[in-house]
Amino acid sequence: MTQLNFLPPFPLDASPLALFGLLLLAGVIAGELVKRALHLPRIVGYVLIGLLLGASGFNLLDAGLVGESWIFVDIALGLILFELGRRLDFAWLRRDPWLAATGALESALAFACVFAALLYFGVAPLYAALAASIAIGTAPAVVLVVAQDLKAEGQVTERALILTAMNSVIAYVSSTMLLAWLHHEYRAGWIVVVLHPVYLLCGSVLLGYAGSIAAIALARGLGKSERAQFVVSLALIVVTVGAARVLELSVVLALLAFGVLSKNLDRRHRLMAVDTGWFGQLFVVVLFVVSGASLNVGELATGGTLALVYVLARFAGKSAGVMSLTYLSGARRGTAGLLCMALMPMSATAVGMVYRTAQLYPEFGERLGAIVLSAVLILELVGPIAVQLALKRAGEAREENLP
Amino acid sequence: MDFTSSPGLTVGVELELQILNSRDYDLARDAADLIGLLEKTPHPGAVKPEITESMVELNSSIHPGHDSLVSELKAIRDTVVHAAQRLNVRIAGGGSHPFHMWADRRIYPTERFRHLLALYGYLAKQFTIFGQHVHVGCPDGDVAIYLTHILSRYVPHFIALSASSPYQQGEDTSYQSSRLNTVSAFPLSGQIPFVHSWKEFLEYFEKMRGYGIVESMKDFYWDIRPKPEFGTVEIRVFDTPLTVERAAMLAAYAQSLARYILTDRPLAPQRDVYMVYNYNRFQACRYGIEAKLVDAYARRPVSLREEVLDTLKVLAPHAAALGNGHALASLAADVEAGRTDAGWLRQMHRERGSLNDVARVQSDLWMGVDQPEKAKDAHKS
Repeated sequence: MTQLNFLPPFPLDASPLALFGLLLLAGVIAGELVKRALHLPRIVGYVLIGLLLGASGFNLLDAGLVGESWIFVDIALGLILFELGRRLDFAWLRRDPWLAATGALESALAFACVFAALLYFGVAPLYAALAASIAIGTAPAVVLVVAQDLKAEGQVTERALILTAMNSVIAYVSSTMLLAWLHHEYRAGWIVVVLHPVYLLCGSVLLGYAGSIAAIALARGLGKSERAQFVVSLALIVVTVGAARVLELSVVLALLAFGVLSKNLDRRHRLMAVDTGWFGQLFVVVLFVVSGASLNVGELATGGTLALVYVLARFAGKSAGVMSLTYLSGARRGTAGLLCMALMPMSATAVGMVYRTAQLYPEFGERLGAIVLSAVLILELVGPIAVQLALKRAGEAREENLP
Repeated sequence: MDFTSSPGLTVGVELELQILNSRDYDLARDAADLIGLLEKTPHPGAVKPEITESMVELNSSIHPGHDSLVSELKAIRDTVVHAAQRLNVRIAGGGSHPFHMWADRRIYPTERFRHLLALYGYLAKQFTIFGQHVHVGCPDGDVAIYLTHILSRYVPHFIALSASSPYQQGEDTSYQSSRLNTVSAFPLSGQIPFVHSWKEFLEYFEKMRGYGIVESMKDFYWDIRPKPEFGTVEIRVFDTPLTVERAAMLAAYAQSLARYILTDRPLAPQRDVYMVYNYNRFQACRYGIEAKLVDAYARRPVSLREEVLDTLKVLAPHAAALGNGHALASLAADVEAGRTDAGWLRQMHRERGSLNDVARVQSDLWMGVDQPEKAKDAHKS
């Protein structure tokens, strides 16, 4: 036997690289199948294969492996949130205050409707408020990736993206503030109650600020070389993601802040627009497969009815906000209705917020999780289809129109 | 097809403009939203769709001369800029977008534009180039034919004075105006046939219609064409300049020239003009104001710069009569100093280092955005 010690020990160790490759393969095949056979967005295929491989299906991707793959998920989210942050153009909001008002109102009404509905169904106020604050956010990854997939461009696409950027920030900040309430409820000391949210919010924004200052300074030194600027941006995104993890800050908020500030502080236009293109796509596939795997269809049984209430109340709130103000902000008639559909998706960022709470207070996470994760499960499949429909209806998806 | 009589020598312009996004300054696709928003805002002139969703066309009313034209153009510009800003898009002048890719363009969904796509295929998308058309009013068809023939001799002037399309598809073309090379690909581009009267022209037109080659005057993409329904001669070789102020100056030049031609009748139409026409046109596109031309009347080579400066002197009394004196004086100052829109764009590229930045400052300049741009002041003439 000793002669055979060049063989690997059994059972085999999980290799993160092999895992990445396999998730990629599974996702790509499922995505293409769904696209070709059903004409649905590829994302739906990624999520479905994730569900199939995950706890809901064959459990090949168990909690341990999902944990291993969070690094790829973080990189994917980092790339997406950076790009989304760059869409949050303060100059546009200043010139069109109605657009800013739309973002604030749809966020507020989504919160209010979900909160009221959950209270009505007997959910405790604290749980209801936290679940409602997570409902504010639209999945950045879904909107951005479907738009990129369709090569969509136009007012519905641009407005959906800036509203998503706004509501993602609002969702994250408000759910973090509610953490304070939660700390208080669980009788944590006053120092924790105050300092934890402050550390999370300020620390993440500062980290993003540092990233943007570094990016602008490096771009100044490198000049307008697309290749060099692409690599620098990518490197800084990965560094910021890693730093946020190490410092136990928020990857979501840090990267959003990085994107927003690198767009809005770059007065001399040093930074070129970076398109992460194919490189970003690789991580996006893995992101959706993993987020599918981390959801459990079984939870629909416990969270089912309330999840449906959650989804409907959220849609009603967002739609009321968008429908009442969009026309005032100069968009064509019909834009508002399409925006309501485009703001529907929920995905990995919501899952992240649930898990963050669960890590701190496992019991609370379980109760909240059943509701929110079931809703995410529904919207992770319905959302991409709604976005695709909205962008196609708007005539903003690129179609081949050469005869 | 009757020629509508216009009060002599009035002037009007059409400007095709670029719609850019605010992210990387590539062409955007918001024409329908922009036009929709402008329909809600009262403004002088008109704003219309063009062949692809990345373009709009801005039309002035009919004017007696430069001053009222430029103030109307500024008013339309300000309205368009305000609407564009609400949609977070930018508007730029210039004959071409520096780096857009034609395959990304989408045809504006009207029946006529869809027909053009079906007929011309990819040329329709490549037609995302931006020109200024100047209309000069004529009393009757015979005058329009005469004016068209004589203005043909001056086509290199118009090209060189407006040239603002040095970049195409991300490359420096080495031309001052690369736009016209795209127009030349169309089968019905070129020049009016050598006819001597409106009657003779109608015979030609009816023949072409009988063959099924054209349906209306719109189907001729000539450099200069009579426009009977407006009662004008339409000059179409100008690149859209980088500012509305320069657009008005170019219109003033064309109008003053038309007054000179129609009052002094200095030249008779000559077939030789069309013999050297394409060579001269190429020279002006390639070298701009530095071009070397062949003068069909004098039968010798000439320098375009000297030609233009001489013409500006000859036009002085006519410009004065129309109230265009100061506009032509600024034009002369630009020619003498060698200031051109194409030159400014190349200078911006050297200074800023990327074509995205060129597109950005190009749109800043057209929109009159207040920015600490030294170069903008240098451009003002």
